[in-house]
Amino acid sequence: MRWTSNARFLFLAPAVVWVLAFTVFPLGYSLYIAFLKIDSKTEITRERVPMFDEAGDPIMLANGKQRMRTIIHKEQINTTTFQGLKNFKRIFKDNQVATSVRITLTFILSSVSIELALGFLLAVLFNRHLAGRAAMRAVMILPIFATPLAAGYLFFTILYEEGGPLGFLGFPFLSDPDWALFSVIFVDIWQWTPFCFLVFLAALQSVPDELYEAAVVDGANGWQMLRMVLLPILQNTIVIVLLLRLAEALKVFDIPFALTGGGPGIATQSYSFLAFRTGIRFFDLGYASALCYGLLITVMIIIMLTFRRLRETYG
Amino acid sequence: MKKSHLSTGLAAAAALGLASASFAGDAVDWNADGTVTMKLGEVYDDTMITVPAADLGALIKEGEQPFAGTEITVSTLASGPKGGISGPLHAFRPVWEELTGGKVTIVELPYAEAYSKMLLDVRNGTGEYDGFIVGAFWYGDIAPQGYAYPVDDLIASGDHPKWSYDVMPDSLKALHTWEGEGFGILNDADGQVLYYRKSALTDPEHMAAFKSEYGYDLPEPPKTWQQLRDIAAYFNGKNWDANDDEADSGMVLHLKVGEQGHYHFQSLSASFAVTPGPEVSQHHNVYWFDPTDMTPMINSPGHVKALEFLVDLHQTGPAAQVGWALGEAWDYFLRGKAVFVFSWGDVGSLCQDTARSKIQGDCASAILPASDEYYDHATGEFVKQENPVPVGNTTGGSWHGVVSAFSANPEATFSFWSLMAMKEVSLWNSQFGWTGVDPGYSYQFLKPLGEATVDEYVSAGWDAEDVKTYTQAYYENFYADTILTYLRIPGTFEYWDILDKNLSATMSGQFTPQEALDQTAETWEAITERLGRDSQLKYYQDAIGFGG
Amino acid sequence: MAEMAARPVGERGFGESLLWLVAICVTLAFFFPFYWAISQGLRNPIDTFTVSGLGVPWLSFDPTLDNWITQLSSPESRRALANSTIVSVGASVLALALGTPAAYALARFRFRRVPNIDITIWFLSQRILPPVATVIPFYLVMRAFGLLDTQLALILVNATFVLPFAVVILRQTFLDLPLELEEAVLVDGGTYRTAFMRVALPLAAPSIAATALISFAFSWNEFLFAITLSSRDSLTIPVFIAGSVDTRGVQFWFMAVRALIAMVPPVLIALLAQRYIVRGLTLGAVKG
Repeated sequence: MRWTSNARFLFLAPAVVWVLAFTVFPLGYSLYIAFLKIDSKTEITRERVPMFDEAGDPIMLANGKQRMRTIIHKEQINTTTFQGLKNFKRIFKDNQVATSVRITLTFILSSVSIELALGFLLAVLFNRHLAGRAAMRAVMILPIFATPLAAGYLFFTILYEEGGPLGFLGFPFLSDPDWALFSVIFVDIWQWTPFCFLVFLAALQSVPDELYEAAVVDGANGWQMLRMVLLPILQNTIVIVLLLRLAEALKVFDIPFALTGGGPGIATQSYSFLAFRTGIRFFDLGYASALCYGLLITVMIIIMLTFRRLRETYG
Repeated sequence: MKKSHLSTGLAAAAALGLASASFAGDAVDWNADGTVTMKLGEVYDDTMITVPAADLGALIKEGEQPFAGTEITVSTLASGPKGGISGPLHAFRPVWEELTGGKVTIVELPYAEAYSKMLLDVRNGTGEYDGFIVGAFWYGDIAPQGYAYPVDDLIASGDHPKWSYDVMPDSLKALHTWEGEGFGILNDADGQVLYYRKSALTDPEHMAAFKSEYGYDLPEPPKTWQQLRDIAAYFNGKNWDANDDEADSGMVLHLKVGEQGHYHFQSLSASFAVTPGPEVSQHHNVYWFDPTDMTPMINSPGHVKALEFLVDLHQTGPAAQVGWALGEAWDYFLRGKAVFVFSWGDVGSLCQDTARSKIQGDCASAILPASDEYYDHATGEFVKQENPVPVGNTTGGSWHGVVSAFSANPEATFSFWSLMAMKEVSLWNSQFGWTGVDPGYSYQFLKPLGEATVDEYVSAGWDAEDVKTYTQAYYENFYADTILTYLRIPGTFEYWDILDKNLSATMSGQFTPQEALDQTAETWEAITERLGRDSQLKYYQDAIGFGG
Repeated sequence: MAEMAARPVGERGFGESLLWLVAICVTLAFFFPFYWAISQGLRNPIDTFTVSGLGVPWLSFDPTLDNWITQLSSPESRRALANSTIVSVGASVLALALGTPAAYALARFRFRRVPNIDITIWFLSQRILPPVATVIPFYLVMRAFGLLDTQLALILVNATFVLPFAVVILRQTFLDLPLELEEAVLVDGGTYRTAFMRVALPLAAPSIAATALISFAFSWNEFLFAITLSSRDSLTIPVFIAGSVDTRGVQFWFMAVRALIAMVPPVLIALLAQRYIVRGLTLGAVKG
């Protein structure tokens, strides 16, 4: 019974309180905002007062006048109007929403599946004695931590259609709506395939030699080896990688922000991007909050669907 | 007498010699002849600009530090220390700091965020920025609310570096004021003109081939958009420029979404969609909204026809331009890859920058052509015209400084902006392409229209022929009889943002012109509803001078 | 270590060399963007388009450090670097200060009403939450407290984002530590605090350090909240470089330098924490 002392609450409480204060409360507040229309303005009055030096004398200027400073009195006025479900109803009428949902889904499905597949392939490829493997593995870590926004700008120059290093391919990387989405996915793949690769490699390396040997003795070919031996062992890893990638992919914002600005048109405007634009760029806070709730509900569903698997993995 | 004269003179010279030596700073020299030389340093090619000391105003005197201890923060578009619009701020910061003892922090914001950042700063009253570089279309969100600091008294005081609204054409002056009161400090002057490769348009072989293909003489420069399209189509895909082995284009456009692509549509559509008339009325000289009820006009048949035309015109250029911001499109033209570009004054001065341009001396300018037919909103019919009158434009931001009403140091902020508005500085800014600062003011136009001479430009590295057509084109544009009305009501940024999105979607084939403009109109209605139709209508009527 | 090279040496040879070549090519492909940025940043503007192909410095053009000097000499860029450092360090320290005890509690103690695993997953789910969902309430709350454009606001935000990460991964770390030493302390009459501070913490130190490094990198890269909450004093590197796609002229050289300024710190840090990356990024689910 020793590890059931009440001291446990002292250890745990700060973090729990923190999450309640900084995540749960804002989410609740956000739901409240979603029913409102908020207008902000600030009223100003200005007052001019003379400036004095250390000796208490007025400071004189070259034009013979006294140096003055300005004191500003300001009062912020926020007016909130209750809108009922109006903001939520707007979601269904807004054609930008439908487009951004489609874009986000396409983005998630393609980038995550390619990253997983490619990462797995690479892991199998690297899972052998290769001269300089440690160095290669180190290089593969770099993209994961490259600032996504900077990566977006960097790829803007790389995918540049006239004179960029991939320009000779002649593809309309950024000017065609479908290609632009492809380009966003491409950058994401560059950034996150290494993650899948590293995790799968680690998982493969924890597979005992005997299993491979047993499979080889049984005369398994490559495909059978994959299906009968590797996939079952990697099952949990695959699920966790899938979940983490799904969650990250849902948030996609930085890369289209930098690479395409959401364009052409709204062809790469992800859901997060749309919510950001609505709320932060155009101050339509209530509607943006309503939009965010759509996303939040999606994430909650994902978590609920994977809850049991998560319990097993982390239990 | 003679002797004493001489000795006085010597003493004075010695004193002056000492004086100029002791006041030669890193960024500023106080010269003996009553002038001050600003030294911009190595990054800016050791540029020196000399101004009369008296023009610096009553506060800035040798040995004085009128803003000692004052720190101001200004926001600007992000282009770095040697990029458009933000560059001059970096260049002149050390000068101003040395002249006044003040300190400047420059906050660079991406184009798409700069407006929101400014607006949040003033709406929340945080007042972090003492000044902003604004686009003139932001005024509706700051001027009537009292967020911008009026500067007429500061100009009149004579305390600060000298400049005046009098050098501005009315069309540009209107963009720096609100209801007659001055808020903007002179800097950039935006309007789009046509740039073309004179050598191609005057090549006898091409002239003959063009005539046999299109049945009329190749006009140089084209007078109508329709002629321009024919010329662009004729040259597109031919290797008419010998500087590389590849085919070149007709027209190059900057169409990237979230940037300044929609301005192409504004400038171009003006002569399609504005019904000329003696004064502003419900149907005449209006472009954006019906001035009686704020119904969007943006999906009128005139606008739609203009967009269809723009889609056509786009076919005469590189497909990649759908994703290009200004720089990419300009560089394409500067590398000699397109016959035409219609854009801002930057192009004319960038043509002279041999580090980026291969076409110095072959970079002619002209006022934008007009459409050979316009839409009559009163009758609902298109009207053909034989000799269409060009419509001028002030399309763009005319990016310039404004002082925040929340600034505790409005004088210092005004002083910094004003330094860059001085005639000599402004002229220098407009002569160099990288600054992003474009001409439109009297001392930038050539005599007799203005005060400048060809020699001044030539000594700044310009080709004499290029500068003549360039300044002429801008003069004609800004002083045109009919000028596209400039939208400055609250929320303009948001109205334009959705227009920009839908235009971009059209150029990349996601929408037809009609769909794009119908959707724009629909969204505009929603924005107007949200911001309040009555107040929007009032602002709109005021802005375009509609009497009712 | 299980590797598929457990075959006789004779069967290697051509096939293996080919695979090795493929591995090298893949690695180079993933490295290429960094190379490209380095090459661009060393070019004079005039060389941007005229130099074709791979653009190897010294071979295809004369490299210059001018772009770097211009960028790094502006007070704004140094300030952004300082801000990013302060925010990232502050957020990591704060998250670890809150997260380590919580992780310890979840690894050692038994919670009865809500099982430990469910609390852990509750933390985990915070990590999965889309940040845009909290950006507006955060913005309004920070405004109400007058914290807009402060480093503190960004520290709070980033600490919130990395806290769940720290809790989940450190819980795993503590679970992997032997229980006996701590129990010995308790048997000797020591407090839980002593057991935690004197025994568990030192043993977990390498893992905690790695967690801190990864938290630092996450916070460094954060953009959405940084651009929303900061306007002057607390501008971080990602906000500073945003908008480098110049509206008035393509400046590849300038974008490349700015991108590298942003990327180098988190990337170097990732290399330092190499051994822990896999564990860290899977929140302890996979041991690397």
